[in-house]
Amino acid sequence: MSIAISNIVKTFGGFTALKGVSLEVEAGELVALLGPSGCGKTTLLRIIAGLDAADSGTILFDGEDATRRHVGERQVGFVFQHYALFRHMTVFENIAFGLRVRPRAQRPAEKEIQRKVHDLLSLVQLDWLAQRYPAQLSGGQRQRIALARALAVEPKVLLLDEPFGALDAKVRKDLRRWLRRLHDELHVTSVFVTHDQEEALEVADRIVVLNQGQIEQIGTPDEVYDHPATPFVYQFLGDVNLFHGRVHEDQAHIGEAELKARGQLNAGASATIFYVRPHELEVLRRPDGSQAVRAWVRDVRRVGSVIRLQLERLDGHGTLEAEMPRERYEDEVHAVQKGEQVFVRPKNMRVFSEHHHGSGVKD
Amino acid sequence: MAASVAVPRPRFNGKTHPPARVDTEPLWVRWLLTGLALAFLTGFLLIPLATVFSLAFSKGIAAYFDALTEPMAFAAIKLTLLVAAIAVPLNLIFGIAAAWAIAKFEFSGKSVLITLIDLPFSVSPVVSGLIYVLLFGLQGWLGPWLAAHDIQIIFAVPGIVLATIFVTFPFVARELIPLMQAQGTEEEEAALVLGASGLQTVWRVTLPNIKWGLLYGVILCNARAMGEFGAVSVVSGHIRGLTNTLPLHVEILYNEYNSAAAFAVASLLAFLALLTLAAKSFLEWRLKEQFTTQQQENPS
Repeated sequence: MSIAISNIVKTFGGFTALKGVSLEVEAGELVALLGPSGCGKTTLLRIIAGLDAADSGTILFDGEDATRRHVGERQVGFVFQHYALFRHMTVFENIAFGLRVRPRAQRPAEKEIQRKVHDLLSLVQLDWLAQRYPAQLSGGQRQRIALARALAVEPKVLLLDEPFGALDAKVRKDLRRWLRRLHDELHVTSVFVTHDQEEALEVADRIVVLNQGQIEQIGTPDEVYDHPATPFVYQFLGDVNLFHGRVHEDQAHIGEAELKARGQLNAGASATIFYVRPHELEVLRRPDGSQAVRAWVRDVRRVGSVIRLQLERLDGHGTLEAEMPRERYEDEVHAVQKGEQVFVRPKNMRVFSEHHHGSGVKD
Repeated sequence: MAASVAVPRPRFNGKTHPPARVDTEPLWVRWLLTGLALAFLTGFLLIPLATVFSLAFSKGIAAYFDALTEPMAFAAIKLTLLVAAIAVPLNLIFGIAAAWAIAKFEFSGKSVLITLIDLPFSVSPVVSGLIYVLLFGLQGWLGPWLAAHDIQIIFAVPGIVLATIFVTFPFVARELIPLMQAQGTEEEEAALVLGASGLQTVWRVTLPNIKWGLLYGVILCNARAMGEFGAVSVVSGHIRGLTNTLPLHVEILYNEYNSAAAFAVASLLAFLALLTLAAKSFLEWRLKEQFTTQQQENPS
């Protein structure tokens, strides 16, 4: 089922949670709503589910107006962050709930319910837990049962509110890959909310980046990562270094350094901010013409197979962070140590057009 | 909740030491305090309780059962059961409704409602009885109208029921509000998304989740409904065989220097109290278990 959301506005008292959000989700898609806490992503999800009502705006399911449709009639499955399993029911009864509460005429026979629940339990690979109670399960197991319960009513749309938010890192990673595989099998239109950019980049077909109740960008994981539309998206999807400088005749001037402008520098822009990811900073032991910024090494940190360098610019314009694989650190940078001097050259820079400056840019 | 906390200690000389004791008071202080508490308990609870039963049987077992089966006593027992049978179910419904509204919804005037629910606890029972006399009594606001329509509330069973409902109102609601607030609304939302109707949600999700707390509230409510003296005394009129509840009957017998009979009837109430206590302890244990599993489910 496709979802078309247009101009959704929602306020809580004096606080505007959603400022006119429009979004289309195609049938069979897995879409991530990504943003920091308080950006309105969960509110949007609850409005799609019918758990909250929008102040204005419309929601169409398959082209039909569902804005005023009751939550029980929307045929959605909802997975809560804290699972919300019925604590006094066994796992079996939890999953069977959606079938048992149907009006008598539509209620499947007991045998059919049994079969269906066991099918779902094997789908989430937990068939041996049927007679346990939620309190006896681990977090990851509970979330898979919650998913099975949501799928029992054969929803047209699956909505997941920070489904892995309460789990520890390892379980989280396993479960999100499993969710992706499950989605590839079932092809049910799914929307999930997350504040974890890695989760969104890994799992989703498309990502909707939200900030302060507005959509910043919609695109595939590659699009939003490689071509962020706004400084906010750029910063939210990964670490970032900022360089204040100016562009002049296709040359970027940063402090004393002059850099050949590669990438998309708008010619003619004067004072500007360059955005560079830590892994796009090249660290050199020797100067390379005038094309590098001088800095000294404040700290070297190993994070598994990756080396992170904390650098302080010699011209006093703040600190930088560079990141590189261990091999390159040892071969090309000759394992530079704390206190030594290096030359830093951005391999790739981004500039955002003037009207975005200052919006969400940390300096 | 745990009274003692195991503190890990550093190892010395490769030997492990037992965790440090938290209760560091000397032995005699602990014995003294425990002894004081026990003496207090004996003096104020156990001896009176024993006295009730020993005086009840002071004229023999036959006299004891005579006192209970005598028509006036029997009428008092019947009336007490009737009043509890009306007041407790009504307060069960009021209590669930009020707790549901307060715990699951946000609305203005919520704190006023909570204060109102607590009101019967803070008002003297005699005053609450008096309120009904002023409202429904012959000289009261509604008295003339009621008299004109031949409806008697004061000095009759309806007045006793009303006064009892008033004084027992907070028990169920007070017990349920914190429990329902701790449980939140997510399970109900999950039920609604799965297609359950409002009634199905209450019946299959909300009520099973609160059943132990509810039973606890009902038992306390029932104990108070059967034992209430002050408010009922004001509205009852003490008509023997008609408007006398058990506590009022005890008073009448005692005032007539018929102390063996008075204590025999009182022993019934004491027995009810002991039953209530046992049921309460059992439910407290169940509730505690429920709360711990809840905390395991939502560690945040």
